[in-house]
Order: sequence, then C-alpha cells, then structure tokens
Amino acid sequence: MKRKGLVGLLALVVTLLFTVSAFASGYIKIGVQAPITGKFASEGQSIDKAVRLIAKQVNEKGGILGKKIKVITCDDEGKAVKAAICARKLVDAGVIAVIGSYTSTCAEAAEPIYYRAGVLQTSDGTSDTLVKHGYWTFFRNSSPNSAEAKFTAEFFLKKQHYKRITVISDYSTFSTNLAKAVINDLKKMGGNIVYYGKITSGAQNFTPILTKIKSYNPDVIYFSGYYTDGGLIRAQMVQLGIKADFVGGDSNDNPEFLKLAGKAAVGAYLVNVPLPQMLPYPEAKEFLKAYRETYHENPASIWTLFNVDGLRVILYAIQQTKSLNTKKIAHYLHYELKDFPGITGPISFAPNGERVGSAYMAYRIGPDLKYHIVYKEK
Amino acid sequence: MEIFFQQLVNGLTIGSIYALVALGYTMVYGVLKLINFAHGDLVALSAYIGLVIIMQLMGALSPTILIIITFIATMIITAIGGVILERAAYRPLRKAPRLSAVVSALGASLIIENGIMLIWGPMPRIFPASVVPNANYDLHGVYISLMQVLVLVISFILMVALYLFVNRTKLGTAMRACAIDQDAARLMGIDVDKVIVTTFVIGSALGAVGGLFIGMYYRGIYFNMGWIYGLNAFVAAIIGGIGNIPGAMLGGMLLGIFNAFIAGYVSSSWSLALTYVLLIVIMIFRPTGILGERVAEKV
Repeated sequence: MKRKGLVGLLALVVTLLFTVSAFASGYIKIGVQAPITGKFASEGQSIDKAVRLIAKQVNEKGGILGKKIKVITCDDEGKAVKAAICARKLVDAGVIAVIGSYTSTCAEAAEPIYYRAGVLQTSDGTSDTLVKHGYWTFFRNSSPNSAEAKFTAEFFLKKQHYKRITVISDYSTFSTNLAKAVINDLKKMGGNIVYYGKITSGAQNFTPILTKIKSYNPDVIYFSGYYTDGGLIRAQMVQLGIKADFVGGDSNDNPEFLKLAGKAAVGAYLVNVPLPQMLPYPEAKEFLKAYRETYHENPASIWTLFNVDGLRVILYAIQQTKSLNTKKIAHYLHYELKDFPGITGPISFAPNGERVGSAYMAYRIGPDLKYHIVYKEK
Repeated sequence: MEIFFQQLVNGLTIGSIYALVALGYTMVYGVLKLINFAHGDLVALSAYIGLVIIMQLMGALSPTILIIITFIATMIITAIGGVILERAAYRPLRKAPRLSAVVSALGASLIIENGIMLIWGPMPRIFPASVVPNANYDLHGVYISLMQVLVLVISFILMVALYLFVNRTKLGTAMRACAIDQDAARLMGIDVDKVIVTTFVIGSALGAVGGLFIGMYYRGIYFNMGWIYGLNAFVAAIIGGIGNIPGAMLGGMLLGIFNAFIAGYVSSSWSLALTYVLLIVIMIFRPTGILGERVAEKV
C-alpha cells in the first residue's frame, strides 16, 4: 500500500516535470544584459524596452518556429563584476542569445561565460578587443573604434585641412584607445599632432590644460571622452578665447553636451554614426514610430537601435536555419547572411563576429543647436 | 607671459572654491577636533538646493535679485542642514571615542550622498546657462569671465569678513577659546554648545557658497561630487594647517595654483599626482601645515 502510494507520487512528479519542461520549451528565451541602474541607466533601460518591444511584435505575429519569445533581463550596472554575475544568471536561465551589454567593459567581462555555455551574444561595444578573443558566440552590432579613428583622421586632413592638431582623452580604456587610434591614423596620413594630454573625468576644471593647449596655437582640439567632460571642455575653451575648432568623439553625442556647453556648443563638431532620426531606412522609421507609440519617448540614442538590430538579425537567423542550435545560427550569421536590411543599415558579419562596413558622419552644431552633417563616409 | 597670468587666474578661481569648502573642515576641526567628512556632501547638497531655487524663480526676477536670493536662501538652508547634522550625528557622540565620531561622519556622508541620488536621481543635473550673464573680458590676452570675477570677489569678501568675525567679535573670541580648551572655556562662562552650533552654521554657509559657485561656474553637478571637492578641500585645510582659518584660505589657493601650474608647465596627465607629491613635501617640512602652530602634546 505504502509502496503504491510512493509510485503514484513518483508518477505525478514525473508528469509534472514533463509538463513544466514542455511548457518551458514553448518559449525561445532571449537575455538582456544592460545597465538598468547607475551612470548609464538611460541607455540600459532604453535597450531593455526596445528588446521587449521587438519580442512583443514577433509574439503578436505568432512567434518564431511556432514558439513565443520570452525576454529575461539582468542589470549589470555598467560594472564588470556584475556583468560576470549576470552572464551566469542568464546562462542558468536557459537563454539562447543575449543582447548586451551597452559598455565594452561589461560586454567583454561576460564574453567568455557565454562562449563556454554556447550562448550567442551581440553587443554595441566599440572596443576593438571585443572581437579579438576568437569566440564564435560574439557578434558586434555597431562599428569598432578603429573605423571611427580612420574616419576622424580623414575628416581632419581631407575636409578640414587642420595643420596643428591637439588631442585630449580621459583615463578610461575606451577614451585612451580611441585617442591613440586617431593619433596613429593621423600620423599615417601625415597629420601634425602638436599635443596629447589626459584629463581626469569629472574634474570639471579643465582650464589649466586648455591654457597650455592655447600656447600651442592649435587649429583643432579633439576630445575622445564622454559628453559630461566634453561639454565643459568646449565651454571653457571658448571662455579662454581659444579660436580652434572642437571635435568630439562618439561619446560626446548626447543632449547633455549641448546643455553643459551652453551657447559655446555652437560651432562644435561631433563624429558619430547617424542619429536615429537621420537613418534613411524604412525599417528605422517603422521601428522609431512603434517605439514612440509604446513608450511615448524616443530611444535614448543610436546604441539602442544597434542592439535591436543585433536581436533582429539573430531572430532572422533562427527563422532561416529553422533551428535553435546556436552553432548552426552562428555559422549562418558568419558565412551566409548578406546585407540583412537592418534599422541601422545593411548587416553582414565577418567570420570574427565584426559587423562589416560602417557609416560615420561628422556633424557641426549650428546656431539652432541642431546637428548639421558636414562630412560623410562614402 | 599671458599664459602665466591665465594659469594664475585659472588656479585662483578653483582655489577660491577649495578655500571656501576648506574653511568648513578647518573650523569644525578647530573647535571639535573632528573631521566632518559629511561636509563635502553638504556642499553638493547646497548646489542642488541652489538649482531648485533658481529653476523656481528664474524668469520671475531680474538676474541680480535672483542671484542674491539664491545665495542667501541656499546659505540659510544649508546652515540648517549643518545644524541638524551636528545634532543628529556628532553631539550624541561628543563624549565617545574619536573613532566613533569618524564612523558617524562617514555614515552621515553616505546618507546625504544617497539622499541626493534618491531625490534628484543619478544623472548629472545642469544649471541653466544664463544665471550670471555670459560676459567675458580680454585683458591683454588674459581672459576672465564675469563669473570668475564674482567667484574671486565674493570669496575674498567672505574670507575677510570671517577673519574679522573670528578676531574682532565676542562670539569669535569664544570660538577661539573653545578651540584652545573647551573645558576652560566652559569654566569662563562660554556656552560651548552655542559656539559649536555657530561653527557649523558658518562652515556650512560658506560651503554653500562654494557649492553654488561650482554649479554656476562649471554648470554640471553630480550627486557624488561632494567626495572629490571634499577631498581636495580637506587636503587644502591640512596644507594650511588644520584648525587654522587663514591657513585654510591659503591652502585652498595654493592647491588651485599648484594644480594649474603643474598642468600648464609640467604635464597635464600628471598634474594631480604631482600636486600631491608637492603637498607631501610640504607636510614633511611643516607637519602641522604652513600656518599650523606646533602644538605641544597634552598630558
């Protein structure tokens, strides 16, 4: 009697287990690893919202391979340690692909964990090192720093004809690497760099280094760091009566740059990929419309759209390969996918996971405080 | 030559702000022998309070009146904050071992910092551009803005006023008496608690002026900026001789000017590190600071 009860219980447990796993396999799980809180919260939240929007759209159309998409989010706070914890959590949750993270540092910290678990990862991180580990699981959905550096050097020498170039970076890996890459490309093309110096991010008082730069009588000051410092550098150089141009790298592209620089923002140049509203592709217009209708705001920046493209291209690959085997999907993305119509332009990947092609632009901030394109990559 | 004078102006501007904040550290230390680690965060808080006042009143008042009201209201509110801080975090621990008070100070610092973050959020806040008219003067190649002139003049006036207050008034004399020996001061009929509260009021109000200058001159304010300004001002107080009021003023100015000249003539990448090397050298030769008195160990 007792034994019979036990068998019955066992049977019940087994049936339950089966139903649970059958229930679970009805979903395709997609992870989001992004800074939902902290310094980059606005970017992280925007990425999460955008991924959920795409998932909703796909699910309304019946899902993929007859399965619905389930999004699981983990907050890495923009910190490397948290990124590694997130990666383990998402792997344990059984995701097949992860979107993120926003920062190169966090994407890189999580990379080996996804690689070992065979989970696909796509990030907008621009650091060149991201694709240098030989992980088949990693796909960059934006353009690397080296492409930006090359474009910046061309803009300086072919369009602006700067003769005396000065460069400032902060101490972060991203900013120093970008500054060094720009300097290298400028030197290769015969540019004359008269000064390179570093500032402490957040120091707020940049007048000493700018006064020093003034004594070099430069044509241009290039800054490779973030907008919180860039806006102040622009304001203070104008206050010090420096007549040189200001050119900011991609991370200066944020509405707060304009607020910090105030009137001094007029005439400053920024180098970045196109702004969301400048994207000419129908997919972009459609997505921006849907995003605004759902959340009543614009995505935080172009980085949201890059990450969305990362998701879209993975979902497309699942559809094409009719498989949830990440090896097969990765092979398809590396070798068979060609010019997928992305929100941020046609997408193809090199065998190392690098996105092929880039579309940098140089903007000048006009008296209307709007961006005006002055130079484009062909 | 204009580069030299420009760096001097650069250094004096930031140096004045350090000096104003340093006064808060040094006055509290002078009277209580306590390092008020929450002072930097009080300065950050004052910048946020100032921003709220400006945003509320902008457009309704003429710029001059707006600036005056902002300064006075922010100084009063921050001073009240300083008094609450003293009541809640330091007075109950006045008889406790000194380490307890230090821990309490650090705790208060974290509470204020995180409080700012919870109220105003982790994103930087930005002062409107046109609070102080954007005038800029060119003196033979040396550029100085109206805001910088204001920073230098107001700081100078406040420091002279403080010096006169401490040296020429009754309450100031009482303050100096408490700094020398609290028990003896109490025996002479001085209300020590009142003196301590006055110290916190003045220190916080001066810090509030520093916080407003940071907001109006640099425009961007951050919930955790109290830490970096507090650290620099604390160092300035030590170089000048902690507990010594003219010392804090001198220390702030020196720190600003060193930083500017090292960035200008040696290396901007190393300016912060080399500034501190120089400070260590000063401390080796003058362990009690430039104007600090040699105190005999009490037995």
